[in-house]
Amino acid sequence: MAEFSPVTGRYVTFDVLGDQCRVFYLENGEGQPLLCQHTAGCHNHQWRYLLEDEEITSRYRVIAYDLTRHGKSDPPANKTWWKEEYRLTTEWYTAFVTGFCDALELEDPIFAGCSFGGNEALQLALRHPDRFGGIIAIEGADHSPGFFLDWWQHPHANASQVTASGVWDLMAPQSPDSDRAATWFYYSQGAEAFRGDLYFYSVDHDLRGRLGEIDTTNCPLVMITGEYDYLTPPEHSKRTAEGIEGAVFVEMEKIGHFPMSENYPVFKGYFQQALDTIRQKS
Amino acid sequence: MRNTAVSERWPDEFTRVCNQDDELRAHGRYFDCSYLLDMEEHRYQVVMHHGAVEKILVDPGPLDLRYQFLVKASADTWREFGKREPRPMCHGIWAATFREDMELQGDLLVLMQNLRCFTRQMELLRVSGVPV
Repeated sequence: MAEFSPVTGRYVTFDVLGDQCRVFYLENGEGQPLLCQHTAGCHNHQWRYLLEDEEITSRYRVIAYDLTRHGKSDPPANKTWWKEEYRLTTEWYTAFVTGFCDALELEDPIFAGCSFGGNEALQLALRHPDRFGGIIAIEGADHSPGFFLDWWQHPHANASQVTASGVWDLMAPQSPDSDRAATWFYYSQGAEAFRGDLYFYSVDHDLRGRLGEIDTTNCPLVMITGEYDYLTPPEHSKRTAEGIEGAVFVEMEKIGHFPMSENYPVFKGYFQQALDTIRQKS
Repeated sequence: MRNTAVSERWPDEFTRVCNQDDELRAHGRYFDCSYLLDMEEHRYQVVMHHGAVEKILVDPGPLDLRYQFLVKASADTWREFGKREPRPMCHGIWAATFREDMELQGDLLVLMQNLRCFTRQMELLRVSGVPV
């Protein structure tokens, strides 16, 4: 007997700083929009369990998109993108997220982003708190140097395997083999975008000295980070949260840098706690 | 503290565990390299050929056999790495290199070329045990 998922996929085309972006997104549920950003070099299947979790989708309209150049979202259709080195900037990334919200006419969405999405979450909290009903920064920090590396695209090595196995240690050894393998598999598909994404993650994103400008009065901010994350260890997220008035930080035990994908049951408890915190503060 | 019994039987045990591993057998056809594991108290040189352990040298002399890269850490870090549930930051070669005292040296391109299988092989230290 075949089983059909309640999750549906759709394309939407909109403009991002002059780039024509045809964007693929998955969605399920009803209620306040919950916008989910995947990690660098990856795609929206990292949110596969959340998208089908009735406890969440009964309260939230869960939307997980593929950022341009990832998954089923092609590079900009009106650009000769293959003639340029891809380097994601804060300006473009932020325009993309707000452009997506405009395109879908989302009201008061909660933004949840992981890793380079967690860092983008902080940028949104700084630049556009008026656009969001709450922000959850997963594995995010004010500064995350060290991963903008040429190994991700070195022509003498297998870029798919270097990318996928290079992030393997970011997951906790306690996470199930099958979900770690699935996350590895997703990463084997994204080497070309990975390095350019990490330009944002490790270079362009730098909020040191600016955390005090983030206003959480009308846009609650929760930060959650796994204890096995060696790129953004919990102490870095904690340091960041302590610099933002009103921000809440929670360390996640026995989980790593891809929590929603590597071990959803463990992640879910912390994520629900973050959603409840936002609801209480709103 | 060093477990002498584990240390002495480790080359045979690690060879057996690796050469019977489904993942290495499935993906190791071109896994060919020679690397050194420097565990402070001892050094082990592992020679891989077609995804199988061909030879392990214990405390090799400086010119015994060339190797391409080495992974070096304190005995304490390796002992933690070898646990079924290592503490955070000792759970992988990247993690321990970024946050602990592990170092990657030599021709890192060879490491990257074999990263998938090498990563798997290091995790098999949790099956064979760590010989320090």
